[in-house]
Amino acid sequence: MQIQDLPYPDPGEPDVRSGPRFLVWLGRNQLGGQVKALCWGLLHFVSVSGLPFCVGFAVQAVVDRSGARLALAGGLIAVCALGIALGDTMLHRTAVTNWITAAARVQQLLARRTALLGSALTRRVAAGEIVSVSTGDVEKIGWFVEAVSRFTAAAVTIVLVCVALVVYQPALGIVVAVGVPVLALAVLPLLPRATRRADFQRDKAGRATELASDTVAGLRVLRGIGGEELFLDRYRSASQEVRHAAVRSARMWSLIAAIQVLLPGLLLIAVVWHGVNLAREGRITVGELVTVYSAVMLLTYPLHHFEEIAMAYSFSRPSAKRAARVLSLERATDGEGSREAVVPAGDLYDPATGLLAPAGRLTAVVCGDPDAAGVLAERLGGHTAASSDLPSALVGGVPLDELPLDSARAAVLVQDKDPVLLSGTLRELLDVPGSGDVDAAAALAAAQCRDVLDALAQGSLDTGDPMDARITERGRSLSGGQRQRLALARSLITDPEVLVLDEPTSAVDSHTEARIAEGIRSLRQGRTTVVFTSSPLLLDHADRVALVHEGEVAAVGLHRDLLRGEPRYRAVVTRETDDQAAVEEPARPSPPGGLDGPTELTELTALTDLHEIDELDELEEIEETA
Amino acid sequence: MIGVAPPAYDPAAPTTAETLPVGAPATVRAYVAELFQRHRRAFVLLIAVNTVAVVASMVGPYLLGSLIQRVSDGAEAARDLHLERTAALFVVALVVQAVFVRQVRLRGAMLGERMLADLREDFLVRSVGLPPGVLERAGTGDLLSRITTDIDRLANAMREAVPQLSIGVVWVALLIGGLAVTAPPLAPAVLVAVPLLVVGCRWYFKRAPSAYRSESAGYAAVSALLSETVDAGRTIEAHRLSARRIALSDQRVREWTAWERYTLWLRSVLFPVINITHATVLGSVLMIGGYFVLQGWIGVGQLTTGALIAQMLVDPVGLILRWYDELQVAHVSLARLVGVRDIEPGSGDESAAPDGRAVHADSVHFGYREGVDVLRKVSLEVAPGTRMALVGPSGAGKSTLGRLLAGIYAPRAGRVTLGGAELSRMSAERVRSHVALVNQEHHVFVGALRDNLLLARSGADDAELWAALGAVDADGWARALEDGLDTEVGSGGLALTPAQAQQIALARLVLADPHTLVLDEATSLLDPRAARHLERSLARVLDGRTVIAIAHRLHTAHDADVIAVVEDGRIAELGSHDQLVAADGAYAALWRSWHG
Repeated sequence: MQIQDLPYPDPGEPDVRSGPRFLVWLGRNQLGGQVKALCWGLLHFVSVSGLPFCVGFAVQAVVDRSGARLALAGGLIAVCALGIALGDTMLHRTAVTNWITAAARVQQLLARRTALLGSALTRRVAAGEIVSVSTGDVEKIGWFVEAVSRFTAAAVTIVLVCVALVVYQPALGIVVAVGVPVLALAVLPLLPRATRRADFQRDKAGRATELASDTVAGLRVLRGIGGEELFLDRYRSASQEVRHAAVRSARMWSLIAAIQVLLPGLLLIAVVWHGVNLAREGRITVGELVTVYSAVMLLTYPLHHFEEIAMAYSFSRPSAKRAARVLSLERATDGEGSREAVVPAGDLYDPATGLLAPAGRLTAVVCGDPDAAGVLAERLGGHTAASSDLPSALVGGVPLDELPLDSARAAVLVQDKDPVLLSGTLRELLDVPGSGDVDAAAALAAAQCRDVLDALAQGSLDTGDPMDARITERGRSLSGGQRQRLALARSLITDPEVLVLDEPTSAVDSHTEARIAEGIRSLRQGRTTVVFTSSPLLLDHADRVALVHEGEVAAVGLHRDLLRGEPRYRAVVTRETDDQAAVEEPARPSPPGGLDGPTELTELTALTDLHEIDELDELEEIEETA
Repeated sequence: MIGVAPPAYDPAAPTTAETLPVGAPATVRAYVAELFQRHRRAFVLLIAVNTVAVVASMVGPYLLGSLIQRVSDGAEAARDLHLERTAALFVVALVVQAVFVRQVRLRGAMLGERMLADLREDFLVRSVGLPPGVLERAGTGDLLSRITTDIDRLANAMREAVPQLSIGVVWVALLIGGLAVTAPPLAPAVLVAVPLLVVGCRWYFKRAPSAYRSESAGYAAVSALLSETVDAGRTIEAHRLSARRIALSDQRVREWTAWERYTLWLRSVLFPVINITHATVLGSVLMIGGYFVLQGWIGVGQLTTGALIAQMLVDPVGLILRWYDELQVAHVSLARLVGVRDIEPGSGDESAAPDGRAVHADSVHFGYREGVDVLRKVSLEVAPGTRMALVGPSGAGKSTLGRLLAGIYAPRAGRVTLGGAELSRMSAERVRSHVALVNQEHHVFVGALRDNLLLARSGADDAELWAALGAVDADGWARALEDGLDTEVGSGGLALTPAQAQQIALARLVLADPHTLVLDEATSLLDPRAARHLERSLARVLDGRTVIAIAHRLHTAHDADVIAVVEDGRIAELGSHDQLVAADGAYAALWRSWHG
């Protein structure tokens, strides 16, 4: 795989049984790249090791007063230089290619897994973990993948050099061959401690960054109310903690650096001592002594790769483990479905609550408990993220859970309480799969987005066309109400068979809300729409309003009728507080102890009666449509 | 074709207009000079220990050179080698070198960390001093990206690049100096390779910094997209966007790897240049030096020393090249951080002190853009203790008017006064002791619940904090917390619901206790019944205070003394609820549809 051919058309099915298996799987998939890197690495390291021989040869030539051999040494240096340059460049190219292809592959796998998990992710702790795999772990895994071939080449070279030295000059070569393994392994025991300290430092730094960005994110609050000094002091102490941790970590690394100077130095001295004695006895030439000295000096270079691979592995092992875990996450429900992939049409019915939304009408749902409303709204779309024992919602009599996920989502679009605006231009944001019958302009007008467009046009870089303006992550640059209206416009463009909106205008002012209610009504003419709301302005526009109480439909009717005939409905919708309700209903006797048991009981029975009648009505209606 | 052109798409290009200034070169230079001045001693110390380490490292090659000289001079000289003494000297030099190398690493890190800590703390000090008006206009996004991305980029530069570069430069100079001392005629031989290195590096450094910036922005975009997909999981599934997200992710990977390919090409030019330079240095020292020895101008020992020192040059040259890019990338980030210093901190006029509590807007005009006024000729009188509601459609200018009344923006024309003194001339600190603004932004700071409240009144004791929580109906859930006020909240701690966060914001207001409050949709996130309950309990606590509430919900207006209907930048209707309903205008119509 070459970099220019990325991304992979298909990143493959990873082996996620464990971290090391995942690493092996990645390696197996780029075996060719690894072999190439190894070969170029060998060329590089062997050429580097050739230099000392050239130096020794040149010095000996000078000692022997041979100009011709000096020139030959020059030629040899040129050959080595070519080998070094070519080997180094190609080793770098191939190793980095391995890194990038591995990183790209993991990122692609993550993207696919995330898209598959979809709504199941928001409920899981794993959400944060996926992101941390992408931002941190991929690099560490890539580092190890890159370092493997380089290390192998270095290790092979060291063995070759030791063997060559033993052959070239046995007496000195033995000293080197014994010393080198000691050098290679000497700092390894210190590495775990050093990496632990480095990790600790990273944690501290992460904490400081978090505090800083938290302070900045809340800066308007601080400037408005005060407390800057409190937060500055807190940040200063976090920042100083980072510094102390970093210096502590540097102490360890500086110790390692000192050992890396000291040990090869001692080996050099041993070589010189032994070598000079041999030279004095005439058993070796001066040139050979220089060669061995110079070779030992250069050996520290491939030796560093022992350290690198040890670190890369210790960093990448937990990363690979986490990546494997994240890539093995599954959805709670079966996304394939047991029915054919057709998009059903007809009434929307939820057997668990008895809620019915007749086809082609605007149904509003009032639910005293906002959380229960959210759960119900999600269930109306089928394939809920968490597994549930309740029966599936039906569209035209077809259980949504039995449809393939994609068909279910095409049939019913549930816009939850907190729809996320995806970053990109406004044009991209509004370019969603849909029926094609509703264009952006109509949807934006229905959702009353004119002032949002003005605001966006102001912030855009070039022409001032709001469609080219960029929405930042989660639409943070917009106000809550503006975000809500854009999200609504997006859902309107989709124009699904059934549109379920959960509190679509909770952050919008009453004036605008009233206009939006009209907009939704006219744009969704003849389509099935369900709105969860407690706003009279929206309720007033609904063809049918259902009050859901304690998980069941308690009353159905028109807004104005319910307002008059249903005290519970009035309590939720007119936002009367409990004490106010008590004041406004003076007829209600308050028994001693503050418990108004009897009244509540009668009210309840009344409700149950009403509910039963209602349920019968609805069942009949379903039978008719079925 | 040889070579790779830079990709057309640049992920590092700005997508929105820069909202805060970027430091001018002069500001950056002044800041760097100040930073050096502050850490001069540490710098001098670093260079001193580095010098000792480098000099000690040259002892080895020098001693070997002289040994070789004597051995090659023949049996006569070889006999009195004093090998023991030489070896002892060698060991001493080695130990000195090891000790000082350790010090160089350590001192370098200490210096770097100190500078980095200074830089990030300075930046935050500057940021928290920004005038509220600047923050409102610019938003905190730009500032946030500076304190995370730019500080991160600078971290490497400060921690490693600055110390390592100074080490590298000193190292090269000393090695060449050492060569000049031990084998003077060889020093020029080192320079043979300089032209190649200069040409190669110029080519590389002209392209590298911006390419690396684009590359890292491209890589960050891959992760950012994924993190958005994770965050928006429900929305993406509901709108059936999974396949598009995968395609988009692949596109990001393509954009990122295109830059990787380009920077790889840049290095494919640089690496051979450096390798050939090293070999040329070594080769020319050996060849020229060898010729000199053959001519009898220098000794074999000098040649050996020279060759070994030439070999030692590999390390510092590598160090300089490696960190030089980092420094260039860091420069851009530094300019962005220092840019915040260019904003006037907003001094405030000491003579502008309010006398009384009446808020008065007099023919106020205001606009965010030149020539486009959001508010036109708005006049408003708010008597002390009044509860006023601002209602009207989105974009009519309610929030803008609220910000003017809270002293965050200065009017383009006209005056906004508090107790007769102009709000825009007061410092932020003085304004907030009188007027507080609470908006939908319900930020919960990372830290203990106590800290989240204490910021409003630093000396408050626990009883006062609980009383404030009680006033906003928050004592119920707060008392149920296991660690009470010590509970860690905010990201990473206990996640509070938006409603709870809003209660915290209001509790802060109770603690800060200003006599005038501007509430911009302050209860919009609570469920409707709780919102009304909270507003009533808050009204009891704030009894006697002037409250200007920007309201989405008509019940807030209903409860107010005076309602101002803002439409299209003007005040369209003004009066009490009953008056406005009787007047049968826009408000009355809305009220009827609301209340049925």
